[in-house]
Amino acid sequence: MGSLLQIAVRNVVRNVRRTAITLAALLLGVGVMVSIRGTLNGLQRSMKESMVLAQTGAVQVHKKGYLKNVLSSPLHLDMEVGDALVKRILAVPHVTAVAPRILFGGMVNLGDQTLFMATLALDPKREFEVCPKRRDLFDARAKAFGTSADGMVITVELAKGLGAKLTEPAALLAPDKDGALSGENATILGTMQLTSPGERKIGIVPLPLAQHLLKMEGRATELAIAVDDLENAPLVAAALERALGPEFEVHTWDNVATFFKDILFRQDFLLSLIATVFLVLMLLGVANTMLMSVLDRTREIGTMMALGVRRSRIVTLFLVEAAVIGVFGGCLGGLLGSIVVAWLHVRGIEVTMPTSAVPFVIQPFVDVLYIVKIVCLSGIGALVFAVYPAWRASRLRPVQALAGG
Amino acid sequence: MALVELVGITKSYELGRTVVHALNGVDLQVERGEFTVVMGPSGSGKTTLLNIIGCLDRATAGTFRFDGEELGDRDFNDLAEIRNRKIGFIFQSFNLIPVLNVTENIEFPCLIRGDPKKALRERVRQVAEEVGLGKFLAHKPDELSGGQRQRVAIARALVTQPQVVLADEPTANLDSGTSEQIIDLMLELNAKENVTFLFSTHDPRVMAHARRVVHIADGRLVDGTDSGRAEVAAVAGMGAR
Repeated sequence: MGSLLQIAVRNVVRNVRRTAITLAALLLGVGVMVSIRGTLNGLQRSMKESMVLAQTGAVQVHKKGYLKNVLSSPLHLDMEVGDALVKRILAVPHVTAVAPRILFGGMVNLGDQTLFMATLALDPKREFEVCPKRRDLFDARAKAFGTSADGMVITVELAKGLGAKLTEPAALLAPDKDGALSGENATILGTMQLTSPGERKIGIVPLPLAQHLLKMEGRATELAIAVDDLENAPLVAAALERALGPEFEVHTWDNVATFFKDILFRQDFLLSLIATVFLVLMLLGVANTMLMSVLDRTREIGTMMALGVRRSRIVTLFLVEAAVIGVFGGCLGGLLGSIVVAWLHVRGIEVTMPTSAVPFVIQPFVDVLYIVKIVCLSGIGALVFAVYPAWRASRLRPVQALAGG
Repeated sequence: MALVELVGITKSYELGRTVVHALNGVDLQVERGEFTVVMGPSGSGKTTLLNIIGCLDRATAGTFRFDGEELGDRDFNDLAEIRNRKIGFIFQSFNLIPVLNVTENIEFPCLIRGDPKKALRERVRQVAEEVGLGKFLAHKPDELSGGQRQRVAIARALVTQPQVVLADEPTANLDSGTSEQIIDLMLELNAKENVTFLFSTHDPRVMAHARRVVHIADGRLVDGTDSGRAEVAAVAGMGAR
């Protein structure tokens, strides 16, 4: 067997041009796959960060049953946000900040225009501890949010709908907790961008203003929680569930923003599809190389058979050759892909999502395990695609092979 | 008991709608230690005969016994093992494995059957010396002349200590001087080591060296042309030519 391995390895370097072409195909294929994965990793990380640090927070706490009824923004599923509750939450390991919120459906009036808007009431001080990137979505004037009791921020789309000068006095209207229509004066400070798909007519108002409007002083419908590392979010969620008891429900960010999971799944699916096409193409190259090799070496196969080599060892010989090409080409491709990803990581890629005008920088990165997986796949794939040529070689009759096929 | 015994061996091929009879009722016995030449023109059936004796091909009909065993119904792996352990091959085109050097080519059949490499090296060196390749052990086939390559093939055929060495036109690709040397070498090995040689040729020059000659034409042994085992025994007993 050792002798066959020796022959297999030497045969790989025997036809330099053919091997080089096959290796180039593998190098390019694996290199592109690693580069795409790395870029997608960077994109997904940026998207996660922009979702968690600008909108959802890592973990959210609601009253039991809230998320099931979230579309109706149920104000009766609220909670008292006292120091005691906040302290209990802050006592959980890895929690770094807590911000109370109220989500409700309301209307905004400006001049002779009144439009419905999904309203998010935030505690200006605490909110930016949980979602520090939220402010990045604000325009220059909107950055004054929190400095006045009635200053609100609306989305660009909502501002366009209102169509009037934003500096004019506005009114905020909404049914309060008991269902009675209530109103408050407000000032539109500026506009904000959104990074996620979905509802485009959104307003952000100071929490005290909303609490007064909705007759919910000292109360909130949602607690957004920041953690030291996003990886710890499930751990924190589990600990919070235990700490807060059955009257509350705790969700990690990805369970709140379910569309996000869908986006990631689609991206991963698309990548897998591209990767499969690349892999099959390059492995067809390997199969072709092995078939050519069998044709070239028919007489040599006959000689080996004459000397007593069994059919199974002929198969092994060609499979090993293919695997050597597959693994070696895969390693080279993995190396090339890693270099490209590292270079892009340092350089950064600035992109703007179709759902947002705010550009963000992707820093591609790739897991070593992914590279190992792809290299193994390249080796195993080469092996599988070499089965037919190897089988064909082994089925030759010795006398036929010695005559050159 | 003859080492090789063929009785009524027939080999037919189908070429499209035509059936070609490469061998047509061949009877032949080869005893141990013989040096037999099968003579005949191209297409007479020499190679087919050697292929059947070498377990590289199967007869269409007839009985083939090797070392007392009938091999007609053996499977591929059984025949591979017989080829590896009992038969040495020398081909017209040398058929060395190009990626292996002289030592590796010679030891290859022994490694296939699992002989330990360390113990082999000394024997390989000895056989290589015997065929005059002592200085070329690390050379690759493409660094050797035709005669040297055929010497490697002879060494490879002998290293397993086979019961018979089959040589299919071993001098066809060599010049006359080298052909003489190769034939001398085989005769010497036959005399010294008592190795049984059976080789095919259509080169009349070889006749001068042959101890037993069997003529074949149109797939049949030509009656009255076998120079006979009595003569062979007499010549073999004399040692080297």
